[in-house]
Amino acid sequence: MRSSGIPYLLPMLVLSGLFFVLPLVLLILFSFTRDGAVSLQNYAAFFEDPFNVKVLTATARLGLETVAGTTLLGLPVALLYWHSGPKTRQVLVFLSLVPMLTSNVVRTFAWIVILGRQGPISQTLMALGATGAPFSLLFTEFGLVLTMTQIDLPLIILPLVAVLSGTRRDLSDAAATAGAGPWRIFVTILLPLMVPGLLAGWILVFASTSASFVTQAVIGGARNVYVPQLIYREVGILFDWPLASAIAVILLVLTGGTLLALASLARHPRFARYV
Amino acid sequence: MTGPMLTRRHFGALAGGLATAGLLRRAAFAANPGVVAATFPGAWEDAYRTVLTPMVKAAGFDLTVAPSMAQDQLAKVMASRSHPAYDSLLMSPGQTAVATENDLIQKIDPSKIPNWSQLDPSFQTEWGPTVTVEVNGIAYNPDLVPAPKGYKDLFTNPAYAGKVSWTGFESNTAVMAYTQIAKIFGTGPDDMDAVFKLFKDHPESLSAVVDSTNHQMSMYQQGDIAVFMCSTNNVAHLKSLGLKAEFVHPETGSPAAPVYLHLTKGAADPDGVYAYMNAAISKPAQEALQQPPTEMFPTNMGVDLTPSIAAYITKAQVKTLVYPDWVSINKNRGAWTKSFDAIVAK
Repeated sequence: MRSSGIPYLLPMLVLSGLFFVLPLVLLILFSFTRDGAVSLQNYAAFFEDPFNVKVLTATARLGLETVAGTTLLGLPVALLYWHSGPKTRQVLVFLSLVPMLTSNVVRTFAWIVILGRQGPISQTLMALGATGAPFSLLFTEFGLVLTMTQIDLPLIILPLVAVLSGTRRDLSDAAATAGAGPWRIFVTILLPLMVPGLLAGWILVFASTSASFVTQAVIGGARNVYVPQLIYREVGILFDWPLASAIAVILLVLTGGTLLALASLARHPRFARYV
Repeated sequence: MTGPMLTRRHFGALAGGLATAGLLRRAAFAANPGVVAATFPGAWEDAYRTVLTPMVKAAGFDLTVAPSMAQDQLAKVMASRSHPAYDSLLMSPGQTAVATENDLIQKIDPSKIPNWSQLDPSFQTEWGPTVTVEVNGIAYNPDLVPAPKGYKDLFTNPAYAGKVSWTGFESNTAVMAYTQIAKIFGTGPDDMDAVFKLFKDHPESLSAVVDSTNHQMSMYQQGDIAVFMCSTNNVAHLKSLGLKAEFVHPETGSPAAPVYLHLTKGAADPDGVYAYMNAAISKPAQEALQQPPTEMFPTNMGVDLTPSIAAYITKAQVKTLVYPDWVSINKNRGAWTKSFDAIVAK
């Protein structure tokens, strides 16, 4: 008799149920309470304040900008992987993984040096005569997107590499034989093949960026406010935990909504055959 | 092959041995759980770990120094009152007021602290000993800007435009500075609308608003800012790193905050906490803690000030510093925090 495999999943299901699903349910329930009674007041309070809506929009924008940045930098790496031999492929995967071996906090603080007035970006542009005075990219959304792009880059490269490593390389050779140029091969063969990897990477990058409290606070400063900082403020400064729970649920819905949008995109007839 | 073989029996014995060792460790831990003491992150944490851990150990207790900002300490203890995250809390009057109001700390029994009588009476409170007094003012880089006279200079003198860093109302240092600025530009320490208007009228002052003093210290090291609101300890730390930094007592007076050690309600090992408090106010500990990089003002009467600390403040001057009304601040802090965040947000 064939085993269903469920017994092997039991430990993971129990752990997930106890330490993820149950706390999540409690968080959601808590977000609907105010002064001990069931209420929608927390959600109403959040959306009534234009500042909060602005912060929510800024968080979504930050996530999308980082998705764009990681895609722009990740695609060339994936293409290099596609065209490389086995040894170079191993090196590329290793180099993609190396940043993940260091703490996110350490990488974030390294970016303070890189983006600061005395950092290499400012000094290089000054040496090239592009700017007359030192400048800082700290506390700017551009600096934050740059940082998040570097930090989250492995999250898009690895799914792309996973997809490409399972694909026959002679597909592009066959297209070339049929007369397709490099650009046509990329657009009509490689890019569609990479769609599942891109979707997985986009979801990971968006979720990671929109919830990245430390990097947002350190590189963005106090003037670029995002949802995780609002949650921290409500939990640790104002001690309004029901409202903090509601904001956490809103962030979850924002990430979940993006996930659903991307899943719908994947079901679009143009892409569905590749997923 | 004649290598070592791990049989099922060996494996069972190994697993049994590990389980027994774990149980014995748990039993030992239950008998003496040790003290988990919250301290501020950074130089403070390093100093407390280095200086106090051996002293508490000598008294028969294990000490774990856990870094946490005062507001975070409150949040964590509130989240788990029956099993508090820390046995001892380290905080200033603003947070102490919240802790007492929420029944998070308990009154201490001074008879269990042998060094209690060595504390200046003004540093003895029913909620715990004062371990130091943080004297606040303005830190500046003399290579980049002239010495400011006070807070007013930072807004009215163009030499400081775009070079001053501020933090939000989460920081006690910032709150104390803002109450002083409210007195200068408004009708009194609670007139925070005057402060918010000042920031709106001087948008260049918002170029480096960050979330904590620690973050400002990193930026100061990188030359990204030249001025920030600080304590004397912050300047001492910067100097110990070889940086050029000077401290200014604002002309309107230096705000100050005593720092207390508290016994958390429900602490796993109250006797250990008393041993920790006793060590923290002892003469040897306070002599060590007033050395760089912490340079903490000592509250033990038997400790003479180092020349470096005496250059900032004398024992007689401590009583003349500005001590804000934290009850009033706490009433408004939530609203001020939200308003400030909305004003500075891009």
